[in-house]
Amino acid sequence: MNLNELNLQQARQGLREKKFSAKDLVTACFSQIKKHDQDINAFVSTFEKEALKAAESADISLPLGGIPIAIKDNFLTKNQLTTASSKLLDNYLPQYDATTIKKIKAAGAIIIGKTNLDAWAHGSSTETSDFGTTKNPWNQNHLPGGSSGGSAAAIAAHEAIIATGSETAGSIRQPSSWCGVVGFKPSYGRVSRYGVIAMKSSTDSPGPIAKTVDDAADLLEIMSGHDPYDATSIDEAPWKKPAPLSNLKGLKLGLPLCYFPPQIQPEIKEAILRSVEIFKKLGAEIIELSDVLDPKYSIAVYTILQRSEVSSNLARFDGIRYGHDRSFFGEEAKRRIMLGTYSLSSGYYDAYYTKAQKVRTLICQDFDKQFQKVDAFIGPVSPTTALKVGASKGQAMFGEIQDMLVEPSSIAGLPGISIPCAFDKNYLPIGLQIIAPQKREDIVYQIAKIFEDHTDYHLKKPTL
Amino acid sequence: MSKVISDQDFAHIVQLSNLEIKPEENFIKDQLSQTAEYIEVLNELDTQNVTPTFQVNHKKNVFRSDEVGESLSQDSALSQAPQSHQGYFKTKATIKK
Repeated sequence: MNLNELNLQQARQGLREKKFSAKDLVTACFSQIKKHDQDINAFVSTFEKEALKAAESADISLPLGGIPIAIKDNFLTKNQLTTASSKLLDNYLPQYDATTIKKIKAAGAIIIGKTNLDAWAHGSSTETSDFGTTKNPWNQNHLPGGSSGGSAAAIAAHEAIIATGSETAGSIRQPSSWCGVVGFKPSYGRVSRYGVIAMKSSTDSPGPIAKTVDDAADLLEIMSGHDPYDATSIDEAPWKKPAPLSNLKGLKLGLPLCYFPPQIQPEIKEAILRSVEIFKKLGAEIIELSDVLDPKYSIAVYTILQRSEVSSNLARFDGIRYGHDRSFFGEEAKRRIMLGTYSLSSGYYDAYYTKAQKVRTLICQDFDKQFQKVDAFIGPVSPTTALKVGASKGQAMFGEIQDMLVEPSSIAGLPGISIPCAFDKNYLPIGLQIIAPQKREDIVYQIAKIFEDHTDYHLKKPTL
Repeated sequence: MSKVISDQDFAHIVQLSNLEIKPEENFIKDQLSQTAEYIEVLNELDTQNVTPTFQVNHKKNVFRSDEVGESLSQDSALSQAPQSHQGYFKTKATIKK
């Protein structure tokens, strides 16, 4: 096995047992990048010289000491190009690190590059990136999903050991599902937003994308914790992963029936139902939930709130302090800024923005009600496996429809995970999601971990 | 709620957004109307006595003590500016002489 194919646990152990050096590990990742990234296009920029230099002095006693990490290109990295995959920022060298980047560096990880996303994280395909579409490592005629498509593809293609992503409504879980990797979306406020280019501030949640559940949990431990620079940060100590469970006896898992919409790919429904059988064997009680609020309302709430917050957040990009002027915004950003401006404008504010915030309350209340009956939700992440390159073109609400099964939990700020649970007939990965009540990442971890321990989908590798 | 965004609305939105829309991008107007039509689905739900949720952690007025912390130097703050003048960001004039 090549070193770049190791997961975090294996890489850390190998480093500590001196089987190989941090430099060997970094070199192996760059060799994979050089071989395949011209086709995959997971990275916007790479930092080989700096990474190799950092590897020489890596402190492998640290939690992520000497581990090569790929960073989504909307996390500010001091003096390293940060573009949000938009030409507007193609010359932007941030003057400071995001809080999460500070933590990742302090934990000893080595940043090898910045990964592609939909420009400004607006999308679920990477097709709105100004630097080209990322290709799905399982089949390069297909999309990786998005917006964290570059990070998910980099992990699936073993170009990095771990990666960061950020999710506003699906942007960690959906690309992880389409690329067959693990994406852990924490509770809103668990991980600091400071220094992550703002999209929809009321749900933006940075988090890990990795090869295994433990890898993702370990990176989440490092990324999490209260940050005085983020006013909505949860005022608690950093999250710690709990001990794994040996069975799921006494646990109630809810299967929301409306998460199986008519348009769902039949193989995905079958895969989730097969997963249900695994959970039953592990001792869980499965409860069908027939009265969950239809995700169609979440699509509308998300659309209004996302556009509104985007129009405000992107107002700062005026080309005065950094970057280029507003003529550099692409079509997708313009469309979103304009709809947001419309929904916030005088005469429409109450009908759109306030209405959506009220429906958000109903969505939160609905989850509270359901979590009185069950400990967690299980269901599909996406109604389809990876769609073909070009699928998002000309569709003004492509992402919203693709992300319909992850939007409700994002709007309510809940933690969730996508883990590989099957492949379709074209050998494209299928993701299973687990959603728990706010701040209950422990339940998410325990259910995901035991499922992974009893399956081998996470061990499959794409042929590049 | 009006589902169709008129030419006049569109021009107003473009102006408020501080964007320039090229003639070949005018199709965005119809897309905005389509999206506006989709979000009408929310009217199926009664929200008369519902309080809005602006973010789920319900934190309000987060203060910090008034202590000087780490901040960017003037040089660093200006390092990314396309134009600066005597230690200031250079901008277009907003007030006519």
